Amino acid sequence: MNIFLHELKDNRKSTIIWTLSLVAVVVLFMALFPSIAKDSEAFKKVLENYPESLRKAIGMSLDSITSLLGFYSYVFTYVVLCGAIQAMNLGVSMLSKETREKTADFLLTKPVTRTQIVTAKLLAAVVSLILSNLVVIMAALVAAQAVSERSFDTKAFLLISLTAFFVECMFLALGILISVLVPKIKSVLPLSLGTVFGFFILNMFGSVIGDKAVRYLTPFKYYDPGYISKHQTYEIRFIVIEVIFIIVAVTASYFIYAKKDIHAV
Amino acid sequence: MNLFWREMKANRKSLIIWGIGLLFMVVAGMAKYEGYSSSGQSINELISQMPKSLQAIIGTGDLDLSTAIGFYGMLFYYLLLMAAIHALMLGANIIAKEERDKTAEFLMAKPISRTRIISSKLLAALVNVVIFNLVTLVLSLAMVSHYQQTGEQLDDIYLLMAGMFLVQLIFLAVGAVIAAVGKRPKRAAALGTVLLLLTYLLSIAVDLNEKIEWLQYVTPFKYFEAKRVLADGTLETTFVAITIVVVTILIAITYHFYQKRDLQI
Repeated sequence: MNIFLHELKDNRKSTIIWTLSLVAVVVLFMALFPSIAKDSEAFKKVLENYPESLRKAIGMSLDSITSLLGFYSYVFTYVVLCGAIQAMNLGVSMLSKETREKTADFLLTKPVTRTQIVTAKLLAAVVSLILSNLVVIMAALVAAQAVSERSFDTKAFLLISLTAFFVECMFLALGILISVLVPKIKSVLPLSLGTVFGFFILNMFGSVIGDKAVRYLTPFKYYDPGYISKHQTYEIRFIVIEVIFIIVAVTASYFIYAKKDIHAV
Repeated sequence: MNLFWREMKANRKSLIIWGIGLLFMVVAGMAKYEGYSSSGQSINELISQMPKSLQAIIGTGDLDLSTAIGFYGMLFYYLLLMAAIHALMLGANIIAKEERDKTAEFLMAKPISRTRIISSKLLAALVNVVIFNLVTLVLSLAMVSHYQQTGEQLDDIYLLMAGMFLVQLIFLAVGAVIAAVGKRPKRAAALGTVLLLLTYLLSIAVDLNEKIEWLQYVTPFKYFEAKRVLADGTLETTFVAITIVVVTILIAITYHFYQKRDLQI
């Protein structure tokens, strides 16, 4: 319990900074919504001069992307990007910081097992992520209600918002796994930034060219907002993939860390 | 000179990893061009009439994805992002790492002035950035010429790479300044990342709303955009001038502050 509280305290500052930045991002982007809605109306007038088949094809997608939920899904991509970096940072630094800051021998000579240490730290990281997500979701909801003239589907909105947490959990697990596998991590950021942006670029690129296989490769694509707002639920197979991945990664981390050679000063 | 080679060696591994990332990105990205079914002339024309904000959400901008070079233009967005991350991390770490790894005392006790230390380090960073750029250039030329249809101009790639180089310089200098001026060298990379994310998100926000177009001067990601470079066939003089001035000032500040820096040991 002491380790848990200490970790929470240790994460406090960075969690607050990340949360505030995420709130700022959401509010900034949602503030742009009214002008998008106006642009969309104007463009629909231009569309009237085009043949009907074309109008239907484009008009449909136009309606869905310029509705509040559609625009929020677009903005949300970037919120998830930032959230994933936050989670990956937490995951990678959680165990590796003890070695880096030369506190490993202090901690590991305490009468707690390594398993307990990992559990306490893991819980603290998850709690930090949950708190930060709660604040961001509330802010997003308030911002959305402020800019939207028509009412929107709150349930779908919340379901979409929740996916940030799911993606973050995956990156947290990945981060922990990497941190126990790599012998020595000098600095966390280049590692987590490289990984997260790698997946993110894959995601952005994949969605422009419409590649289906990419969906399984990058966590950013597991939860498609279009599907969620239509069916009010998540796609089961991606939940299954996520759960399996997290269980495997976390269990492996426990085992590896329990036997890992940790260098004292 | 020893210091220069030492730095080159220290960064070799990370440069190789980045190179593999680039290889994957360019080769896999352009390979998708073959499979990309162009949506046809009429849709391209239609998209070009859309308001800019809607183009941004759809993700293609007004690039003509049916040509190899237009498709490459889209890829270039992500290459630029990778280059910026690389340059920023390099600039921040190359200066901050002495204090982080507790090697500052060792280095500063050597009979070379701080100015020379910074010069060697910056030179090594510059060479790294140039190599990064050349690798991208060679890969891009090879892949685009492989997929191009007859009669397409490849000269634009040189121009895009020149633009990318200027952006790399900015982020390199920003990283160096943060590490040299900031009180806590450990936070240098983190602070730089915040700045990078901020400017990246800002560049997206600028696309979404024309009213905040003046903000394009603040974010380097907007300076040499593929769509503008490909349309104009030249880099915009204003932005080139801004880059040169900004980089010069930042480098001068780096030297000035590092001279008097109170090292954290």
